[in-house]
Amino acid sequence: MSFKKKFTPKKKFCRFCANTELPLDYKRPDILSEFITDRGKIIARRITGTCAKHQRSLTTQIKRARQMALLFYTATHASYVRKKSTL
Amino acid sequence: MRKYETLVLFSPELNDEERNSALQNLKNVIEREKGQILSVDEWGMRDLAYPVRKMMRGFYVRLEFLLDSLAVQEFERHIRLTENIFKFVTVVLGKPDAVVVEEA
Repeated sequence: MSFKKKFTPKKKFCRFCANTELPLDYKRPDILSEFITDRGKIIARRITGTCAKHQRSLTTQIKRARQMALLFYTATHASYVRKKSTL
Repeated sequence: MRKYETLVLFSPELNDEERNSALQNLKNVIEREKGQILSVDEWGMRDLAYPVRKMMRGFYVRLEFLLDSLAVQEFERHIRLTENIFKFVTVVLGKPDAVVVEEA
């Protein structure tokens, strides 16, 4: 079929396997924030392509970061939303 | 003995002196429990992702130390007792056998 040839999605890969120097750490909210939606939900690994092993530790690291107020739980409670609403 | 890391979030209203004395108390607890402080890493004042006790900012300090696994409970109890500490998290670093402590 013709439409299959037109659309061939790029092969996804685990970014933590590809680059072993990329830290997977709760202390790096800048990296973790690439794996959450702008509403704060963790993105499924079928979408990001992260391998099972790294996705498991990724979720714990994101949850730790949320605990320490490095990442927000929900966008409605996030500081940057509040700042906008008070302006 | 295991290697631990604790990230502590202090109130932004504390001045340097008050915060250092609170931090010194925690260090004393580690030393009293025969632990060893490896490093103290002050991140400084940072904006929080969400307001904590109606504050939008906080002062983060990261402590790295060796401590007996049973003594960590005691250490955390002292953190909870300390006023003006909003949040903390303790994480084990490395495998238990990876750290060998020399006996003096």
